Amino acid sequence: MMPVSLRCPRLSPPRLHTLHQLIRHMVLSCKMELSESVQRGLQSLANQSFFDQSSFQVLIDVSFRSVLSSHADPGVLDQPKLKPIDQILLKQSHYALTTFILEAVKHNADQSTISSCLEDLTFGPERIETFYSTYQKHNKELKHLLASIGKRPPQIHDVSWRLNHQLKNEQVDKVNEPFYLISLNTKNEGSSEDINFTCTVEQLQDLVGKLKDAAKIVEKASQM
Amino acid sequence: MEEVDKILIHALKQVGTEVSEETDSVRQFSSEMIVEAVVRCIRVINPGLGSALPTSLPPGMSARFRVGMSLAQACQDIGYKGEIGYQTFLYSNEPEIRSLLMFLVEKLPRESAEASDQPTGKSMVLQRAIAAAIRAQLAVPWLPTNCRLPLHAETQSPETLHSFHAQPLSLPYCTKGAGKKQLKEMTAYQRHILPPVTAQPSHYASVVASIMEQHAAELSAAQEWDTEWNSQGLLSRLTPQEYRSRKMARLRKRIEEQLHSASLPSPDSSFGGPRSTSDLSELLQTFRGSAPSDHILSKGTHFTHTQKFTFTQVRTSAAVTSPVPTGRHSEGDIQLRHQEELASLQLQFQGLCSDVDQLTVLDELKQRVLGNSEKEEKMQVKKKTITLLPDADNNLLKLQALVEASAKRVVNLASQWEKHRAPLIDEHRRLKEICSNQDLESSRKLSEIKSLHDKIRVSTEEAKKKEEIYKQLVTELESLPQDVSRSAYTQRILEIVSNIKKQKEEITKILSDTKELQKEINSLTGKLDRTFAVTDELVFKDAKKDESVRKSYKYLAALHENCNHLIQTIEDTGTILREIRDLEEQIETENSNKTVANLERILDDYKAIRQENSALAAKVREG
Repeated sequence: MMPVSLRCPRLSPPRLHTLHQLIRHMVLSCKMELSESVQRGLQSLANQSFFDQSSFQVLIDVSFRSVLSSHADPGVLDQPKLKPIDQILLKQSHYALTTFILEAVKHNADQSTISSCLEDLTFGPERIETFYSTYQKHNKELKHLLASIGKRPPQIHDVSWRLNHQLKNEQVDKVNEPFYLISLNTKNEGSSEDINFTCTVEQLQDLVGKLKDAAKIVEKASQM
Repeated sequence: MEEVDKILIHALKQVGTEVSEETDSVRQFSSEMIVEAVVRCIRVINPGLGSALPTSLPPGMSARFRVGMSLAQACQDIGYKGEIGYQTFLYSNEPEIRSLLMFLVEKLPRESAEASDQPTGKSMVLQRAIAAAIRAQLAVPWLPTNCRLPLHAETQSPETLHSFHAQPLSLPYCTKGAGKKQLKEMTAYQRHILPPVTAQPSHYASVVASIMEQHAAELSAAQEWDTEWNSQGLLSRLTPQEYRSRKMARLRKRIEEQLHSASLPSPDSSFGGPRSTSDLSELLQTFRGSAPSDHILSKGTHFTHTQKFTFTQVRTSAAVTSPVPTGRHSEGDIQLRHQEELASLQLQFQGLCSDVDQLTVLDELKQRVLGNSEKEEKMQVKKKTITLLPDADNNLLKLQALVEASAKRVVNLASQWEKHRAPLIDEHRRLKEICSNQDLESSRKLSEIKSLHDKIRVSTEEAKKKEEIYKQLVTELESLPQDVSRSAYTQRILEIVSNIKKQKEEITKILSDTKELQKEINSLTGKLDRTFAVTDELVFKDAKKDESVRKSYKYLAALHENCNHLIQTIEDTGTILREIRDLEEQIETENSNKTVANLERILDDYKAIRQENSALAAKVREG
């Protein structure tokens, strides 16, 4: 690709620039797509003249903490090691880093993906290692955090039942049929609710059959 | 045989038969296992046939018999040519079962192998990952709430969930890029006041959602821009900034036109929507204010002026009328307001009238001033001619000389102009040519760039696809069972092939030996026959003359006959020996068929059936 772009030297500089960007964008999009601003923020984070090793480490810790912490702390970047850095640059890099972390967790990125992605953004192997070790440490929590976004149907926690015998009702003088009174205790996000219903033996069998079918389908789905 | 059995057992395990680890040959298969294996194979090969068959043998003897019959029927339906019946399953013998299983395993569809050859892409990998996750979750036993460990927290305990709620984030801009144009206050705000992104959302639960939303929005915007730039922007031959500004102007114009067309009818419809029109006009004003590079709009200034004029009017009246619909008022109030309105409107009308009057007066004044200046010019020309009149001839001559001189000068200038013009025109033409050349060049380059873009896209897509395939194959390789070592099999096969080759050679050697022997025997017998015929003739001739020779002839005949007998017996013993060997072989195979045991089992089963029958008969009698 490179020699071809060199063959047209009369191209105006901005156009050449976009071409390179396009190539870079396309190459990057093979793995994990990152937006322009995130890429820029990460590149400045990789730059030794902006962030030395200790402040890099501190910023990585701070970013993971700020994503994971349950209360938003506006002073999260007020660290003595991060003081000498330009605040705008720092905020950019912080945004880029948090986005990268979340995207990596979202894609369930493994080590090779992360390192190739960071290598493209001119990270050194040492910094990649630093990032990856911290990422590994918090991986489970982060996954948990992402999994906690969404909705979930109520879950059954307990079942109580009673077998009654119906002798008669106003229409029929002699029914003599057993029936079940079932109460499902469900919980959803802390609040519990009871679902009550009655059913005959056949209906209960039908219900059990349906549940078994569902279980079977789940099992089938696991055997791909 | 061991290798064959291993392959068979492996295939059967893949089909879903439960084969314990210890069994490593078909000999160890019980009837139940055979039935299960065969049924599972049939189910895979032909689901319609197999679904009706049970995987396990029923306890009753007659039911077993029926299952065996239906299984045999199913196998024949699939195309098994060998001898098969209920006895194959119930009273199994090793070679029969082996051949049947080999046939079935060969018949198994090779879907899985083919599927791995065809790349199914990312979705397949994802589905596999999902399946693996479900498997892992299924492996965890369910526990009641109180007994749950942190281990189960992920899948079983209901924790609080947050809905996906994103808030807009304010990002610090890059100082390198657009930062040059930024205001000082803005940078100061971003430097000192703006909180970091994770502190911006009002609730901590929306931090993650907001960041991800922001990123996705940025990405999609960039993508959209890319596609637009590639499809239209490149062709317009502008730099991205120019393209953007032009597009913005175009959009703004379009919006403005739309707004105008929407706002125009509203003043006519009296007070139908005074509020909205005033809003609209405000919007239009803001548009005008924020449009610094509006060359296109300057054309319509007159129109917009009047527009503004009417709008402001309407707005003032709207300010008066707006309280009307707010609530119920008494008739008097309304009338009073109407009168007030009328008065104010009249006032305005008067004011406008006077304005119009003033405007017409001004116009008149301007026209008159213009007329005056024209007339003054005319007067001056006339004045000059009048001053020249007294010395008319002289002045005429002077004027002619002047005219001639000026004509000469004009000619002179024209020639000079021509002199200058020719090279200039040449230059112009040359430049034009260069220009068109460059145009051509640039369009060529453009098309080149476009094709390059396309190429880049195609190759990146290819690379993506290949990477995915690679990943998928790697995962597949990892998930493949490692116990089947391919190289061992191939080595084994090669060994077998070489063995067979050796055996074949030996066989051919033996065959040629036997042929030679046969030939020798034939030639010997021929020789014998001939010599016997010759001696017979000779001796017979002499025998007529001599009594002792006759005796010897008799002996010769007897000898010949005896020898023939001997040969016959030798041959007979050979055939008998061969028969014996055959029989021994047969005995061996019968022995391996477990005939005795099977017969015993058949006897037992027969007894069981009789018992069942008698029991049934007794029941019938009772009933």
